[in-house]
This record gives sequence, C-alpha cells and structure tokens, in this order.
Amino acid sequence: MRIGSGEGFWGPIVWVILALGILAMGFAVWLQGRRTYKRGTEQEEPFLSGEKLSKGGGAVAGIHLYWGFAEALRPLLSRLVAFHSGFVGDYVGWLLVVLVVSLLVVMLS
Amino acid sequence: MLIHAPILAIAVPLLGAFSLLGLAYLSRTLRNIWACLISAFTSAMAVAVAIRAFTEGVVVYTLGAASPTESVTAGGFPIRIVLVVDGLGAFMGLIAALAGVVALVYYFQYLKEEEGKSLGLSLLLLLWAGILGLVYTGDLFNFFVFLEITSIAACALIGYRTWESRPPEAAFKTMAMYTLGGLLVLISVGILYGEYDALNIAYLSKAITGSLLDKLALGLLLGGLLMKAGAVPAHMWAPDAYGEAPATATIVLVANTQAAIYAILRVVFTLFGGALAAPGIGWLIASLGITTVLVAVLMAVVQRHLGRLVAYGAVSQLGYMLLAVGVGAVARGGFGEVALTGGIFHMINDAASVGLLFFVVGAVRRATGSVDLLSLGGLGHTLRWEAGFFLLGALALAGIPPLNGFASKFLIYESTFRASPILAALALLASILLLAVVVRAFQGAFLGPKVREASPAPRGMLVAMGILALVIVVFGLFPGFFIERIVSPAVQAVLTGREAYLAAVLGG
Repeated sequence: MRIGSGEGFWGPIVWVILALGILAMGFAVWLQGRRTYKRGTEQEEPFLSGEKLSKGGGAVAGIHLYWGFAEALRPLLSRLVAFHSGFVGDYVGWLLVVLVVSLLVVMLS
Repeated sequence: MLIHAPILAIAVPLLGAFSLLGLAYLSRTLRNIWACLISAFTSAMAVAVAIRAFTEGVVVYTLGAASPTESVTAGGFPIRIVLVVDGLGAFMGLIAALAGVVALVYYFQYLKEEEGKSLGLSLLLLLWAGILGLVYTGDLFNFFVFLEITSIAACALIGYRTWESRPPEAAFKTMAMYTLGGLLVLISVGILYGEYDALNIAYLSKAITGSLLDKLALGLLLGGLLMKAGAVPAHMWAPDAYGEAPATATIVLVANTQAAIYAILRVVFTLFGGALAAPGIGWLIASLGITTVLVAVLMAVVQRHLGRLVAYGAVSQLGYMLLAVGVGAVARGGFGEVALTGGIFHMINDAASVGLLFFVVGAVRRATGSVDLLSLGGLGHTLRWEAGFFLLGALALAGIPPLNGFASKFLIYESTFRASPILAALALLASILLLAVVVRAFQGAFLGPKVREASPAPRGMLVAMGILALVIVVFGLFPGFFIERIVSPAVQAVLTGREAYLAAVLGG
C-alpha cells in the first residue's frame, strides 16, 4: 500500500508499525519510573520555575497559545487583516487584479 | 436504466429539490423519506457513472437524440447537448456523492423545523444537482448554466440564517463575486461561440487555434474560475461564506469550490490543451496557489471565530490544490503527473477533513450557542466524540501522518520541489503553521477547565462525522489502493485523455 513520488515513497502501514514500536519503547521507559505518585498532593501542581502559584490560580485560554508567535508577526498580520477589509468593493477590485494578471499571462504565453 | 445514469444523477436531485417542497406541506415524514430516496438514488447513479468511466473509458450521453450515444449529426457536427464523463468528471461525481450523502445524514438533526428545514433541504439538493451537472456536462453553455445554479443555491444556503446579521451579508458578498465571475465565463463562452459557432467542449477543443480571441476567452475563463476556486487575492468571499453558512451545507459548498478547480483542469488541459498549452499558465496557477496557502494560513492565526478559522484552513487547502494543478500544467508529465495525483487526491481528502471540521463547528455552535474561542473551553469534558473528531480532522488538515492529508501533500511537496524548491519549502512551512493554528483551536475549544454547559450532538450528526472520520483514516492508511482505482483514471484523463475525450464525442 505504498505510494511513490519518483523521488521517494510513503508507506503508512510501515509508519504505523514504527510508531507503535516507539510507543512501546516509551511505555517501557515509563514503567521504569518512580511509583511514589499520589493524587491530590503537591505533586500535581505545575512546576513554574520554582515559583509558587497564587491562591487565585490562573488560566491561559487556548486563544493565547502561540501569543509570542503572533506578536512577532504582528506587522505582517496587521497588514493582512487590513487587506481583508470586508468591503465588497475591495473584493471586486481584487477580482479585477486577478483577471488582468490572467489576461496578461495568457496573452504573453 | 444504467445507460441513463449520467442524466438521472442530475435530473433526480434537480426535480427532487422542487417536489420536496410540495411533499413537505403534506407530511414531514414523507419529506424526509423522499429526501433519503433522492439522495440514495443520486449517489447510486454517480457511483454507476464512475464505475463505467473507470472501466470502459469516457461515457457520452446525448440529450434529444434517438440514441444517447449519437453525439454528432450525420454531417459530423455536435449540435445536441451532451454529457461527457471521463475519469476526472467521474472522480468529481464521487466527491459530490460523498458530500451530498453525509450532508443529508447530518442535516436531519442539525436544523430545527422552525428554521425552515424543508427549504434548506431543497437548496441542498439543488446545489448537489448543480455540481453534478457542472462536472458531467460536455457543453460550454450548459457549464455556465450549472455554474449559475450552484451559485444561486450556494448563496441562498450561505445567507440561510436570515435572523442573524452576518450570514445575509456574507451571502451578498458571495453573490456579488459569483455574479461577476459568472459574467466573465459567459463573455468567454460568447466569444468562443461567435468564433466557432459551437458550444460543444470537444468540438471547440479541436477547433481552437490559439488566436487573440481564444487567448481573451481563456484569460476571462481563468479569471472567473480562479475567483470561484478561492485563489488569493480574489478569495475574500470564501471565509465569509464558509464561516457563516450552516455547517450541514459547508461540505457541499467545499465540493462546489472544488468543482471550480475541476473546471480549471478541464479548461487548461482539455478545452485549450491543444493550441494554448503554455507553461506560463501553469506558473500563474502555481503562484496564485502558493500565495493562497500562505495568506490563508496566516489569516487563520488571528481568527477568534472557530468557523472562520476552519474556513481559512479550508482556503489554504484550495491553495495546495491550485499549486498542484499549476505544477502539473508546467510539467505535463513526469513530476507533473505526481503533482496532479497529489492535487486530485487532495480534493477528496480535503472534502473529508474540512467537512468533518465544519460539522464539529456546527455541533459546537448547536451545543453552546457560540463559536468564539474566547468564550469556549473545556468542551472535551462533555463533547467527547466531537473533540476526537475535531482533533482527527485538524491533524488530517495539517497533513500529519498517517492520515489522508499527509499522503496527498507528500505527493504535492515532492513534485513541487522538482519544479521549484522555494515553492515546496513555502508549502511545507505553511503546513507547519497550519498545525500550530489547529492545535490552538483544539486547545481553545476542547481542553482546559469546563467553562460552560454543553449538550452532545444527536446520534445522526455523530454518524455523519463518523463517516468522514472513517474516510480520513482509511484513505490515510491505504492511499495506494484509492490512488490506483479512482485517482489515477482522473489524472490520466487530465494528462493524456484529451484525445480520448474528443474521439468519444466527435467519433474517429
């Protein structure tokens, strides 16, 4: 059930067997771990560089995941958001751009 | 009856869409049974057509002739309307069948009666008929007519929630774009008809000489179809439409957009494949494809609306298909064949993964009344099946092995690398970014502490999601099986099937 690209191949069944092997190895390593874990103790608290959690707790919503990444790309992203203005006149304008480029390419081909 | 399968696959849902509204006045049960019968029959006809096209070659069906196989008159001129189904059309018919069936299964428990269930069902069948007509027709004017049928039905479905403000606005914008795109196609059809006195695609393909008017017609067709395929920068209607349409309609809307990519293949490789087979057109499509991938993925990063986030993910996948079509048109053989195999295989993979994601978004909206990631969280505690399905669809969309999205993207990356390593690197980078985006959406909606109550989706909706999940896993684990049986005939129809297409219609 492999597929070839002329340069390489992809065999999902082989991949699944390998993945299962790696999972089994991981499980074997896990079995070697300490057995002193107790539910409901301080062992369940997240380790934040040795800092203690505030009593009020805190939550980071999924929307904040990759916040730094989005922040780093903000100059580009803000331009892209502005480009998607939501005005139908702009939509039509960009359709005309695609049309003109298509016509130019076809005429020059 | 099987000889009439091509026309029955179009006529039954078309007539069924209107008769269903009459039956709905008599009894809802009767309406539901009728819709199931139409759906089952249409799918069976699409499968029958596909089997014939894959085993016997190009299927030709002539309307108005003494026999459905008489496509030309005694003088050798194709005057009648013909349906011509080769491997590519048959493959698209299968995608439409899959989308139509799962949409209907999902539909029955998704919309409430007071939300105009009968009208929605009717529009769904109309859109289905339009897509099948678009991919089966061998006549350029009928192609335009079916394009318009799909546009009208799609816009009505997008603006279906008239009691909210955003869907009608999205429908208006989509209608404005579809109308202009349709106009470009109509002008192009008019130019070719004026030049050659014919509308038959096979006849035109043989007659086209590559004149200035032919080039003008090709440019206009490409402009209209690239817009309908969601190519950047004419893509902006797509996230509006996908994000606001009812979830049940979205998978059929995705199939509708893919029909535009089918049309680009038909125009570039069949209609103008003889006189105007220039690599420049391939580079144009590939460039727009990679731009679409990058812009859509970056826009997905900033979305808070789960539906729009998935919509931008869907647009990015259309970019991968355009990239593959472009590379295929540049090379026309060798690695071009690999690119087209990846691109065409990606169509069905995309329909399954994007369809599944939109179905989950619909289930989330139904369960919580919101799709704003800032107000969602912890839904995995109560919507366990939905969470699993979302994760599966998201990983498939991002091209994570061993799911189906990886198999098709693998072929696209490898072949694109042969055409341009820079394009391949950008495509790969966008896929990684998309993974980050969908992981963020999964984390935001389903993980973490429970923030609101939600009721799980009814069984019918879960069954529809389950069918798509099964497609994702099975196509991912056995890609070779499906490529050999349903994708390769479509690829061969594109690359080497032009002569067979012409011969099947015109004889000789």
